[in-house]
Amino acid sequence: MRRARISQIGLLTLLLVFTLGSADTGVRYNDLSHKMMCACGCGQVLGECNHLGCPDSEQMLHELRTDISKGQSDTAILEAFQAKYGPTILAAPMLTKFNIVAWVVPPVVLLLGIFGTFALVRKWRLRTVATPAPSAVRGFDRIRDQIRKETEI
Amino acid sequence: MSTITCALLLIGIFAYVFWPEHRVEAQTQKTRLDFLRERKDVIYDNLRDLNFEYRAGKYPEEDYQAQRAALENEAAETIAEIELLERQGLTHSPKLSS
Amino acid sequence: MPTLGSFALLLALALSGYNLVAGAIALRQLATGARGRVSPERLAETARRAGIGSFIAVTAAAFALVWAAFTNDFSVAYILHHSNRALPTSYKFAALWSGQEGSLLLWAWLLTGYGFLLRLRHKVDVKLTAYASTILAGIQVFFLLLLNFAAPPFSLVSGTIPQDGFGLNPLLQYPEMVIHPPMLYLGYFGFSVPFAFALGALMMRYPGEKWIHITRRWTMVTWLFLTCGIFLGAHWAYSVLGWGGYWGWDPVENASLMPWLTGTAFLHSVMMQEKRGMMKHWNVWLIFSTFALSILGTLLTRSGLVSSVHAFAQSSIGSWFWAFLVIVLAVCLFTYVLQRDHLKSEHKLESLVSRESSFLFNNLVLLAACFTILWGTLFPVISEYVQGNKVTVGPPFYNRVAVPIGLFLLFLTGIGPLLAWRSSSFKSIRKNFILPVVAAFVTAIVLIATGMRPWQDSGAFYSLVAWSLAAMVTVAVGSEFLRGARVIQRHTGQNLFASTIQLTRRNTRRYGGYIVHFGVVVIFIGLAGSAFNQSKEQELNYKQSMTMGPYRIECLDYSQDSNPNYDTEYALLDVYRSGKKITQLAPEKRFYQASQTTSTIVANHSTLAWDLYVIYAGKDPDNGQPIIKVFLNPLVAWIWIGVIIVVLGTFVALIPNMSAALAASRSRVQVAEAPVLAATKGGN
Repeated sequence: MRRARISQIGLLTLLLVFTLGSADTGVRYNDLSHKMMCACGCGQVLGECNHLGCPDSEQMLHELRTDISKGQSDTAILEAFQAKYGPTILAAPMLTKFNIVAWVVPPVVLLLGIFGTFALVRKWRLRTVATPAPSAVRGFDRIRDQIRKETEI
Repeated sequence: MSTITCALLLIGIFAYVFWPEHRVEAQTQKTRLDFLRERKDVIYDNLRDLNFEYRAGKYPEEDYQAQRAALENEAAETIAEIELLERQGLTHSPKLSS
Repeated sequence: MPTLGSFALLLALALSGYNLVAGAIALRQLATGARGRVSPERLAETARRAGIGSFIAVTAAAFALVWAAFTNDFSVAYILHHSNRALPTSYKFAALWSGQEGSLLLWAWLLTGYGFLLRLRHKVDVKLTAYASTILAGIQVFFLLLLNFAAPPFSLVSGTIPQDGFGLNPLLQYPEMVIHPPMLYLGYFGFSVPFAFALGALMMRYPGEKWIHITRRWTMVTWLFLTCGIFLGAHWAYSVLGWGGYWGWDPVENASLMPWLTGTAFLHSVMMQEKRGMMKHWNVWLIFSTFALSILGTLLTRSGLVSSVHAFAQSSIGSWFWAFLVIVLAVCLFTYVLQRDHLKSEHKLESLVSRESSFLFNNLVLLAACFTILWGTLFPVISEYVQGNKVTVGPPFYNRVAVPIGLFLLFLTGIGPLLAWRSSSFKSIRKNFILPVVAAFVTAIVLIATGMRPWQDSGAFYSLVAWSLAAMVTVAVGSEFLRGARVIQRHTGQNLFASTIQLTRRNTRRYGGYIVHFGVVVIFIGLAGSAFNQSKEQELNYKQSMTMGPYRIECLDYSQDSNPNYDTEYALLDVYRSGKKITQLAPEKRFYQASQTTSTIVANHSTLAWDLYVIYAGKDPDNGQPIIKVFLNPLVAWIWIGVIIVVLGTFVALIPNMSAALAASRSRVQVAEAPVLAATKGGN
């Protein structure tokens, strides 16, 4: 019973951890600019692209600002950018169609791994740790005394 | 200039590789005795560790007793075999550990 | 000189080939008892020496390339493209690894260097080393084939030789860049040594686990190199790229992290094999995959399969790496299938609360992290295959998916040390857990009380968790030292400090490892600070100022300058804190003539609390005023401090144990006594 409750809480926490979003509207600009890449090919996130004379970042950030001031939703803005610059403009795939796979596979693998490991440990586990009988080796007592002397800390 | 350097490099390395060496290290197969001695060292380490961790308060009494007994049995069997082999004079390996 | 270089590379290939073939024949003859004209031992000895010779030959080639860089020999195409006359001397040296061909040459050199050491020290175990040396020779052959036929570093410029070279990529003209790549490569290729030993031990059905003992230092040193390489790269990115961060989840960065993760897993789980004869199958595959991942990383970044910021020429060598990877995996699989009965475990896992099972979970999490990164790196390729278009899998993905896994790992860092080998119940160790858990909760409460709002955004939540876990692990590691030291104290009567020292010296690997764990905690403390980074961009005219956190930044001057290597624009900024001037910063923007590229020189005022990180973002085209971008990055210094602790901890772990020496001296006394005892017993 208690174990079930613990695992439920664990699952909930995991779910929470993986789905926690950043929702504060005050930082939307900063947020969205970090959800897209710069189109110039510098390989940096839009909000951090800083190289001199970048042909794209200024204009893209300007578009972003206008879109936000127009009151568009995050998804709408991201979709508009995607339509304009192609799907690689998003810094991470959105939760659509096949792209969901990108997000789902790693946590699933981790969870499967955890369950697998638990199952494995359970299978391996020996029932008892009964004190084994003294070995039948000849002169065991002498050898054991020697061992004890030599393995004192 | 570079041709000479190349030639020197070639000759030097070839001489080094194929110069007949009389004391070639023999590729001895590890003997049972070597193996047992390694094994004994490992079990000893485990035992020392066990004793130490027990004193540091990381084992319940019954756990400690059971595991010490198991490890001691294992060590005793190993040592008994070592002694047997040594008595039979099967010491192939010249390097004696302790 | 180019002639010498090309010749030396060809010679090195011949020597490695000889090492491989003659070594394999000799080992085969020794295994089957067959005899050729030459005795197999002699043949094996010539193979070993050919391996040593290949190092000398590759050294000559590397020397030839560096020489060409120093003498401005622009007839060599590689030097023409990666150096110029005005380049400072130390960076001419770096030209060796600033491009494809040169870095392959550096790899070959480091690889043969490792092989050289291994072959010199062959007396540790002549037969096992012969196997490892032959396997390494196989790897050498691949790299030397590449260097001779696919990416020759000494190819000459056709037509007239230009007066000056195109210069070194300015991003690489930075002190860390001189040591970061060699460190990283030392890390990548260092794993080929434990790999070769593991594969060799499996091939010859090596009895016992001594090979782990032999390769232990290799693995640790390699791990250390890789760790240093990764963090030097992060520090370089932070100080040079000027975007205020140190890790961008770029494919090349990921490529270095993947073998690090599996290597770390191997370092842990191999202890279970060494101590308890367990997990043999697992360990063999861990080291196989670590090696394969270091190859795969190279493949990913050099073949143009995934796009990366790291500007390596995309070339045909990708297919070579594919072929090599397939061969390596085939050899591993074949050997494994043939010899897997040799890997029977001697023990079984006995309980869920033993250190063994914590190692199991640590391995699981490290591998899950590795898989996540591999998945993220390869997903664009998969996506293109499945839905026909590439997607970007960038920082937001990893921050969401990899960060929780990282925190789980941090948690295990603290739990592992508290558990004992084979302990079967939680009963006696429960009290050991109380203090760390309390520490975690107290930290969380204090942080919330001081204004952290973990429920508002994920960054704050993760940071709160990270810092609470950091407190937990620190207390756990600390109490572990204390408990051990108390035992020594009771035993010897020394004071606590001396006891702690003695404790560490008795089992350097374990307590060195704990120091490494603590270093990891410190790194995490620093990483978690990134959730609270702030930045601001503003034009600053003379005497104008801006504020950032507790700092006020005032523009004293801005100007430009030029020297033969580059032109520069910079601003002189005075930094005030509570009305007092504390420092002057001079962020720069440089324009390099030879390569026609610009680069940012960051000005950073680093304190333990935060870094004031200032970049010169250029001039406003309308009024010519400098645009200054300021970041306030909390706790970054702790990342570098943590790395230093990790390095120190690894050094401690590399020191031989004192107890072994003591035990030996003690048992010598006993050996001397034993005959007497036996004699008296016999007499009775």
